[in-house]
Amino acid sequence: MKTMKGNMSKPASRGYGGVSRSRRQFLLRLLAGVGVGTLENQALAFGDSSKFTPAIAQHGGNWNARPNGLRRLCWEVSSRTSVEVFPQARAINLSDQALFHYPFLYFGGEGEFPAFSDREVANLRRWLTWGGFLLADANDGSVGDGFDACFRREVARILPQSPLSRLPQDHVIFKSFYLLDRQGGRLLVRPFLEHAKVGQRAAIVYSQNDLAGAWSRDLQGEWEFEVSPGGENQRETALRTGVNLVLYALCLDYKEDAVHLPFIMKRRR
Amino acid sequence: MESSIFNEWRWVSLSPFPWWALGLLGLALIAGFYWSAFSLKKQDGWRRGVLLGLRAASVLVLFLLLMEPGKRWMQVTKVKNRVIVLLDSSLSMGFSLAPGKQTRYQAAQQIIKSSESFWKELSTRFQVDFFIFDKNLQAINRNKIVETAPRGVMTDIANTFRQISSDSDSSRQKLAGIILFSDGADNKEWSKGLSAPDKEKLKEMNVPISVIALGEGRFKDLSVERIEGDDFAFVRNSMEIVATFRVVGFTKGSFPVALKREGQVVATRNLQVQKDGNIKVVFSFTPDRTGRFVYTVEAPVFENELIATNNSRSFTIHVIRDRVRVLMVVGRPSWDVRFLRGILKQDPNIDLISFFILRTANDDARVQSDGELSLIPFPVRDIFHDQLKTFDVVILQDFGWSNPTYPQMSQYVRGMKKYIEDGGALVMVGGKNSFGEGQYERTELQEALPVEPVGIPPGEESFIARLAKEGRRHPVMSMGLGEEESVRAWAQIPKMYGSHVVSAKPGAIVLLEHPFLTQGGKNVPVMAVGEYGRGRVLAIMTDSFWRLGFDSVALDSGFRLYDRFWNNAIRWLVRDPELTLVKVSVEKSILEPGEPVVARVSVHNPDYRPAPKVAIELDWVRSDGNQVVKQQTATANLEGIAQFQWTPLEPGPYRLVARAKKERRIIGLGENAFAVEAAGAELGNPWLQLDLLREIALATGGKLSDAKDISSIPLNDKETMQVGRIHDVPIWDHYAWLGVLAVALVLEWILRRRWGYA
Repeated sequence: MKTMKGNMSKPASRGYGGVSRSRRQFLLRLLAGVGVGTLENQALAFGDSSKFTPAIAQHGGNWNARPNGLRRLCWEVSSRTSVEVFPQARAINLSDQALFHYPFLYFGGEGEFPAFSDREVANLRRWLTWGGFLLADANDGSVGDGFDACFRREVARILPQSPLSRLPQDHVIFKSFYLLDRQGGRLLVRPFLEHAKVGQRAAIVYSQNDLAGAWSRDLQGEWEFEVSPGGENQRETALRTGVNLVLYALCLDYKEDAVHLPFIMKRRR
Repeated sequence: MESSIFNEWRWVSLSPFPWWALGLLGLALIAGFYWSAFSLKKQDGWRRGVLLGLRAASVLVLFLLLMEPGKRWMQVTKVKNRVIVLLDSSLSMGFSLAPGKQTRYQAAQQIIKSSESFWKELSTRFQVDFFIFDKNLQAINRNKIVETAPRGVMTDIANTFRQISSDSDSSRQKLAGIILFSDGADNKEWSKGLSAPDKEKLKEMNVPISVIALGEGRFKDLSVERIEGDDFAFVRNSMEIVATFRVVGFTKGSFPVALKREGQVVATRNLQVQKDGNIKVVFSFTPDRTGRFVYTVEAPVFENELIATNNSRSFTIHVIRDRVRVLMVVGRPSWDVRFLRGILKQDPNIDLISFFILRTANDDARVQSDGELSLIPFPVRDIFHDQLKTFDVVILQDFGWSNPTYPQMSQYVRGMKKYIEDGGALVMVGGKNSFGEGQYERTELQEALPVEPVGIPPGEESFIARLAKEGRRHPVMSMGLGEEESVRAWAQIPKMYGSHVVSAKPGAIVLLEHPFLTQGGKNVPVMAVGEYGRGRVLAIMTDSFWRLGFDSVALDSGFRLYDRFWNNAIRWLVRDPELTLVKVSVEKSILEPGEPVVARVSVHNPDYRPAPKVAIELDWVRSDGNQVVKQQTATANLEGIAQFQWTPLEPGPYRLVARAKKERRIIGLGENAFAVEAAGAELGNPWLQLDLLREIALATGGKLSDAKDISSIPLNDKETMQVGRIHDVPIWDHYAWLGVLAVALVLEWILRRRWGYA
């Protein structure tokens, strides 16, 4: 029996369209510098609808503090995994019904932000309940104030029955692609992630370590922020954490299936 | 008074006081008398005697006045109570008492005939009525009993007693007793003995039932007496049935017994014989197909056995799915994958096995070794060869088959086609790697798909898919009770983005179609289903189907449509019996020899409307030899229903295969199964049931007698007195008696005064 690594590849480009063309389009879009600040509601081509397409929550505070972070994560996901990515993340208001086009929502920010309106709370609750995944990221590394205080306040309104709690180290997020025993970020103010559940699913995952800060790379290819205290290893861990979060959003608890357990247990030893 | 019409009289009290009040009054009067006697105890001689005599006279007269005695004249009729004599006339009474001896029935006839003096004597005291019974009761003249023979195909003693009680309640005559001649081989309510409520009911009859037990157990015979187990099973799950064999007259040893499914052995066990009696054998087996099947427990037939036909017993088991095993193979993770997995994973009726390709050869995970990854080897052979048949449904989602990077996949294409042909189900869901780019058109699998590529690129425009005409009544698209509700629900689905351009093959049913993209003058199918061999295929030509499960939440049409669609689709794919186009039903699945079978075939069109006037062919197949023994044809009525009837001549397992045809083309198949027993219940267990007969006698205060002594049976009262008219004549309510009382009291008072007593 051969492993996927050695024997599986994306189908080669033949006939009409294909992966290579898609990859080319992706790179062209990246080079075009399409970022969250210039997002437009472009028409989707065949296959784009089901690709991983992140959305960015447009709240009342500094919601776009890491404009290049998510784009870089998309690139990493595309190059490291079989997941195809539509890199045009769309900034979206939390009360917008279009939120339901995007099952993955990045919620970042620096500093405080005003309370959500009741409509926003209701829309977000409905979105989370029916399958949405929200990655929250304190870009300011705040603890107990700033973004952290505001986000905790709003989560308590959105999911009052499911408070944020520490994500256990054996959660499937830590094995959805990479086997991780830690999580990175630009900072390490908290050595753990937190989550809020809807049923058995982690619907919200929250990092206080500014994951997107570690992911951010400018168009010249330079990392935008120093990572401390762990340096580049910590950045790589942050990228792997991001990849795992995307794979979790797309595959749910696939890696909890019984068929995977013997392999994972063996490698964990 | 017309004394001539009264033939009996008796003394009675006409007092309005109850007996207990009169008793207390009597005691009070006696106490008063003793008290007065005590007050005179110092007095001697005749004066004391006179005073006590007067007091006693007063007390006596007073008591009689209160008692109000009278003479009751009655018109009385005396009715004899009934004694019922019951003779079991079921087939089992035709067995010999012992090898070479007369039959049980003949023995009973002989006892009845030779006990002439007993019946005559009994008739002087009771009305004696004779009946023969099996499952029903039939009155018969005693002299005619010799002309009868045991022919009843069933023994139902409980029902016989019920009929007697009912008859007795409506009669003026009471039952004094029942004399039952039987072997006790009941095969209805009391086949397993008497329960506590049964005994209570027998007691409530308040009639002693005496039993003359007939039959002995010293034959050589092996029979399957009972089968215990569920009448349904889950496919691929082990189940057990318990067979009880009755062994009589065999020497110690062992011999094989088998459990067969329609002629094929599915389990064998050794029957260990130590002594006469019942032996339980547990058969374990694992049904591997769904449907209704006839199973038979069989033991070999030995020389000199009393009955050969009771060595086997058939029963049917309806094999159903407990959980549908779904294999989901995914070319790459996507939102379409995420929502389909979510819906399948949360369904408790689905056992989901998933394989996602998370990394391809072009991807660089930036790891030192694979130990840093959670990826597992892709078990191609395991999935597509070894385990394929264990799955009810295979979902290929955005999964390309023919690809030079993993050429070994192509060798399993034929196996996949065969899997569908043999009854498997395939779902192919869009994405670039399906249909066109998946290169399936170059493989044998294309033959099984309901659609084929037309060689042009996917349509990239967004669209709202439209429910196709054929999809309106299709169970996969059903969203409510009627067509209108489904049409309404599908009219509200959100926008989709792009679709493969394919054309539907002949015979395929298009469920959803593109609203404006056409090919060959027809709208391009977005979703289609088809059948290949015994299997089914669902093709979805877009990868934005997930939007029905998420976007529709925003549209307030909710998650229900997506959820319900996949539930419908899986049920249809695995041929949920409720969704088959042709249904065959039989009134009874196990029949007695000679019993006619009534089969009902109902047919629906592919859009699930009743199919009127279609031709239906019904094959009656001996399923142990797969031989068609009878063919019938009929035309369905306006409701798409036809009824068939036949009486199979040979015992054994049968399968009914119905084909519905329209213009000589088969539009659907349906099956069912039944068995004809080699021996009916009556001959299957003809043994003397002495315990049952004893319990009946004990519960009712009767007696279990042998054939030599039927004279000393217990019976209730010999006759009942029935009173017609009554006339009461009071004899103590005359004023003279008050005068007597007054005189006695006054005289006592005067004498006391004169003699100086207080």
